[in-house]
Amino acid sequence: MEKSGSVDSLGSKRSSSRQPSVDSLSSTSTSRSDRSGQAKPPSAMSSDSVSTSAEFSPELRVKPKASAKQVIRESDKEEPQLLPNETVQDMAQDITYFCPFTGALRGTVTITNYRLFFKCMDREPTFVLDLPLGVVSRVEKIGSASSRGDVSYGLVCKDMRNLRFAHKQLEDTLRKSIFEVLMKFAFPVSNGLQIFAFEYGQVFPENGWKVYDAVSEYKRQGIPNESWRITKVNDHYELCDTYPSTLAVPVNIPDEELKRVAAFRAKGRIPVLSWIHPESQATVTRCSQPMVGVNGKRSKEDEKYLQAIMDANAQSHKLFIFDARPSVNAAANKMKGGGYESEDAYQNAELVFLDIHNIHVMRESLRKLKDVVYPNIEDSHWLSNLESTHWLEHIKLILAGALRIADKVESGKTSVVVHCSDGWDRTAQLTSLSMLMLDSYYRTIRGFEVLLEKEWLSFGHRFQLRIGHGDKNHTDADRSPVFIQFIDCVWQLTRQFPAAFEFNEYFLVTILDHLYSCLFGTFLCNSEQQRLKEEIPKRTVSLWSYINSQLEEFTNPLYVNYSNHVLFPVVSLRHLELWVGYYIRWNPRMRPQEPVHQRHKELLAKRAELQKRVDELQREVTNRSASSSSERAGSPTRSITPVQTFV
Amino acid sequence: MFSVKPMKPTFKCYLPPVQTDVKKNIEPPIKKLEPKLLPGEIVVNEVNFVRKCISAESNQDDLWGKLICTNFKVSFIPQEAPPKQKSQLSHLLLGEHDIPLTCLEQVVTVNDTKGKKKVLGSNQKLKFNPTELILYCKDLRIIRFCFDEAGPESARKVCLAIAHYSHPADLQLLFGFEYQGRRYHESKGERVNGSTPRGGMQTPIFDRPSDWDREIKRTGASEWRVCSVNESYAVSPSLPEYIVVPVSLADQDLKQFSTFFTDRRIPLWCWNHPNGSALVRMACVVDPIQQRKIEQRIFTAITKSHPQRSEVIRSELDKCLPNIQDIQSAFVKVRQICVLDPFEESEERWLSSIDNSRWLEYVRAFLKHAADIVYYMEGKNVSVILQEEEDRDLNCVVSSLVQLMLDPHYRSLIGFQSLVQKEWVMAGHRFLDRCNHLKKNYKEESPLFMLFLDCVWQMMNQYPATFEFTEAYLTVLSDSMWIPLFSTFLFSSSKQRAQHLMDFAKNKAIPQGEDQVVYFPPVWEWSQQFSIKDQTLFNNPMYVGKGAACVQNGEVKTFRRTKKTYSSTLRGTATLMRNGLKEGEETLVRRGSLMSELKSDFSAVKDESPSERFFRDWFSRPADQQGLLIPLSMPSHVALWKLFFLRWVPEACITRGGSITAYHKLSQLVDEIEILQSQLRQYKGPSPGNTPLPSPSGPPSDQRRMYFKASSPDDPPTPPDFLTSSFPFTPSGNLCRRSVYGTPISKFLNGARIWLSTETLANDTV
Repeated sequence: MEKSGSVDSLGSKRSSSRQPSVDSLSSTSTSRSDRSGQAKPPSAMSSDSVSTSAEFSPELRVKPKASAKQVIRESDKEEPQLLPNETVQDMAQDITYFCPFTGALRGTVTITNYRLFFKCMDREPTFVLDLPLGVVSRVEKIGSASSRGDVSYGLVCKDMRNLRFAHKQLEDTLRKSIFEVLMKFAFPVSNGLQIFAFEYGQVFPENGWKVYDAVSEYKRQGIPNESWRITKVNDHYELCDTYPSTLAVPVNIPDEELKRVAAFRAKGRIPVLSWIHPESQATVTRCSQPMVGVNGKRSKEDEKYLQAIMDANAQSHKLFIFDARPSVNAAANKMKGGGYESEDAYQNAELVFLDIHNIHVMRESLRKLKDVVYPNIEDSHWLSNLESTHWLEHIKLILAGALRIADKVESGKTSVVVHCSDGWDRTAQLTSLSMLMLDSYYRTIRGFEVLLEKEWLSFGHRFQLRIGHGDKNHTDADRSPVFIQFIDCVWQLTRQFPAAFEFNEYFLVTILDHLYSCLFGTFLCNSEQQRLKEEIPKRTVSLWSYINSQLEEFTNPLYVNYSNHVLFPVVSLRHLELWVGYYIRWNPRMRPQEPVHQRHKELLAKRAELQKRVDELQREVTNRSASSSSERAGSPTRSITPVQTFV
Repeated sequence: MFSVKPMKPTFKCYLPPVQTDVKKNIEPPIKKLEPKLLPGEIVVNEVNFVRKCISAESNQDDLWGKLICTNFKVSFIPQEAPPKQKSQLSHLLLGEHDIPLTCLEQVVTVNDTKGKKKVLGSNQKLKFNPTELILYCKDLRIIRFCFDEAGPESARKVCLAIAHYSHPADLQLLFGFEYQGRRYHESKGERVNGSTPRGGMQTPIFDRPSDWDREIKRTGASEWRVCSVNESYAVSPSLPEYIVVPVSLADQDLKQFSTFFTDRRIPLWCWNHPNGSALVRMACVVDPIQQRKIEQRIFTAITKSHPQRSEVIRSELDKCLPNIQDIQSAFVKVRQICVLDPFEESEERWLSSIDNSRWLEYVRAFLKHAADIVYYMEGKNVSVILQEEEDRDLNCVVSSLVQLMLDPHYRSLIGFQSLVQKEWVMAGHRFLDRCNHLKKNYKEESPLFMLFLDCVWQMMNQYPATFEFTEAYLTVLSDSMWIPLFSTFLFSSSKQRAQHLMDFAKNKAIPQGEDQVVYFPPVWEWSQQFSIKDQTLFNNPMYVGKGAACVQNGEVKTFRRTKKTYSSTLRGTATLMRNGLKEGEETLVRRGSLMSELKSDFSAVKDESPSERFFRDWFSRPADQQGLLIPLSMPSHVALWKLFFLRWVPEACITRGGSITAYHKLSQLVDEIEILQSQLRQYKGPSPGNTPLPSPSGPPSDQRRMYFKASSPDDPPTPPDFLTSSFPFTPSGNLCRRSVYGTPISKFLNGARIWLSTETLANDTV
């Protein structure tokens, strides 16, 4: 790893509070990963806090330079380690935290512009709860004045937990409760404040904003070629303000015609290339619904355009249009001017509905799931309760849709067009998942970052609206766990193909944690245009800067880089599982599964050690034989069995 | 290895030999299709031009060949052997298309044109000529044969023969007796002086005092002794000849007590914790008047055998765990859902169906109960008595699970086998009845051993580095229950075994005094079933056993198990909370704690019980691979054992995926490590100072421990085809349900479209 100031401090910090890097292949679920027999110095934190705080790890590992030399052990202090430009806003003692697992705890709460920090010193080991404020979805005052005069607050979090605190009724009625302060900083957007990502000034050795460059990604795919070109028609986001500036379109459709196609597609989101098969030239293209309406409007340009997409692939005389929605929903959209392609108008095209439900259904499903898993799982009827949330059935439908797309492209050598209503939720899920199945590049860490940057961020998945960063309006109907679902689907794939992905579970959990934390700028705003306007790349740090600066943490040691491996997962409830390492991680009874990865790392280290010793002996022998009998120099002592040392 | 020559029939066939009229109908070339027979095996009936269904979707892969019924198996010999799939487990005694008769669950004949179907039993008539034969197997396979081109009469006869021979009238008719007798005499030449001691057999059988003595020493149970009061089964017919009892009880006392227990079963010592607490299993006292008195004396004796004279806690398993009928019906349901129901139909309500079968609930209940007992022995330092009416069913499961959790020795291959031998075979689990080998009494059938294996798998699934063996081993072990060639799973008690084997020895002219284990070996002699290479599939590359390496702070250290490391998990909890017997019983009796709590958004905080604290403490610490192991018994952490239940289901088979791909990678790595270690040894070996060493090489291939060898540079760019989630088994031809059409992909996709929930459409604005 490169050396720079911040990395040094990162290293020194680690040795004090975390395990050395060899041991810390910790995902949230595997935070106690070093379970191979050696004793680990007892963590300064209780189990609850291990899963809470250590995982939002930048603040733990990347310490500001100023405090790097501090000798005070973290556990002796009441305040958290502050990040660069993080400032304490309020502090209060004698706060009770009602831990649903270990009971009521009394301690100190610190509120900064980034986090809530609760510490209980009475417990051995010390109990710590460290919560980025971005995770808070709403704050509720419960039962204003109880008999004992306590005021109690409930924090509903976006990451599947609810926290409850209480403190004594304040005598000074003018003084604000610390939770009023919390509300101010938890919802900076609603309170005219800045999201913390704009203040966080950490420097990383790598600049994650450079990970994705549209032109070079298209170039990697072989675009431009004789059938596809790159257009700059959307350079100033005039064609479509939710699309990226760089688009790949069929060669024989001039920019002028693209504008007429845009008029026929919802929000101007015309069909553009997502992925092209390196051999068959079959493509995955994405768009929004056609504006057919009740009268069945047609657009000659749009029809010609889809014909051009089909013609660009010489292998097949068919085009598949995958409409992600259930057919009834697609039909209902006609009332609002939308709809779907009629097979009469689009010759040689076959329309398939994938029956994936809308964002509201998904939101409701996740809400039900939270009820079932937090704080405790009921002892009986677990699977039936899980079934009643429909969460895994939604996951199944999304994966089944992506598999159909991948199968058409790979086995059928046929090009596909994917859309839903606007083409930024279900469409993003489908194109990115099918690309993960088709192209092993996206299964590397950097490839996956590129995939997210491309299919999700640049194509305008509305992260700000779906997550509601810093916004107190928790009932906003635009919020929905579309992206969480996608990451869940990826996790399902990693379960079925444990050696096919370069990244590990911790990588996926980290992405989801920082989806909410507002520490990095990656998931801010709704579109490329907005991000440019807000100067996000200039003013914030990319999540990829953090991740790519310590890749080892996120690497799956079992990864085998099979280049021609197309994944055909079994999309059946028999193989789909609830992601307990994410959804149930707060429960301290949930000891993670013994990590296979950890053991693998140990074995790798052992092999390296042995290889070294064998090499040394080998050299020794060679030298000895060379000196003792020079005439035999060059004798094949090097015929030692070569042992592969790829990782 | 074995003579392929067909043996002369030693007893009369049930049916006349096959008529040859079949051969007239079909033109040559007819390859002579000879079955591979074991010593003592004879062909009972056969039919040619049979079609074996390979996939449920289409006929194009179907195989043509001859269907044969012998006194051991149903065999199918294909006309053209398809290229054998590489790297697949191959059985030394059974061909790819063979099914032992004992493995048959149901024999069903069908006549499609007449729309008739009949389940065949022993000695039955069949009024129609079958067009199809479907064999439902106990290892969950479903094999289908079609007779569209076969002689109708011969087909009918073969079906009847199969049905008849799979319902043996007597235990001695199981093929193992014939086979092992022949084998004994044929291999006589290889034995020195006509007898071999249990050569190479490392698994203790516990049929002699020395095996028990060793176990007493190993666990430090100094206050316990081996007692021979049951020699020649003088006291109890279902106990082993040698048992372990408290030293304070004299043989005379034991004889006296025995009369009060069910089946005269004296309480049996199972295991000792390093802290001195003992695990004891016992039957119920029959006489309610004497009950208190007898139990008190037993308890006192056990207390005396505890170094701290600590109290004894009793756990009555009959009262808090599902009974054998519950378990059987759960297994029947889960099997129905996994293999019998059409894939798509069961897909729709998969989770709730699995839930409703209650199989996982029972698995969880047993794990949880065993963990509760671990808490008493480890956390409270008290001895525990497991009590059950007969002490031959639930006690077997719970006592072996407790020992697996507490003692890492049992998590090694040999240790595990000795545990099964000790707590199941010797303790008198009724394998004969529970397996229903004779298909006589279906009421007694219950897959308790299967349930135990599932519990072991759950632990393995949660702690993949703690067992020396793999899930493939557990699956193969479960399959071995249905191969009647080994003594392990054939009998219901030690005495029954002894009697049958004595009769057998007499019949087969095996000299008296010959060791039973030699002439009728247990299943633990794996080399009878699998090649050395295939047996390496049992080895878990991740296992952290004695001497295994682990990395600490980036350095390689050798993991050495210090004496009694496993007691280190005590960490001062021994003196914690010593509440009275009452509190203890309460917790133990609480059945799988089926109570549920009311939940609100911010649920009330409850107080922790001492046992909950014990478990939380344990879970918050890094686990010691060679120490105490407590499985998570939250419902979310008990999963369906897919390799066992779904290995034959083609639709559920992940090609080039599944956990085997991780196993593949890990095995290769461990193989590389072992090559390097072997090279190092050669360098360091006794070599004269100046002469150049011979270039070192890896260990000879037959000594390599890993199934998958270190990779070579020319590895293919895609994962090998044989790596599927069913590996080392294959669904191909092993699960042919009737009337299912369409390709796998289109099938589940159609299924996916069925699901259209009650969700409203009005909201579809986005």
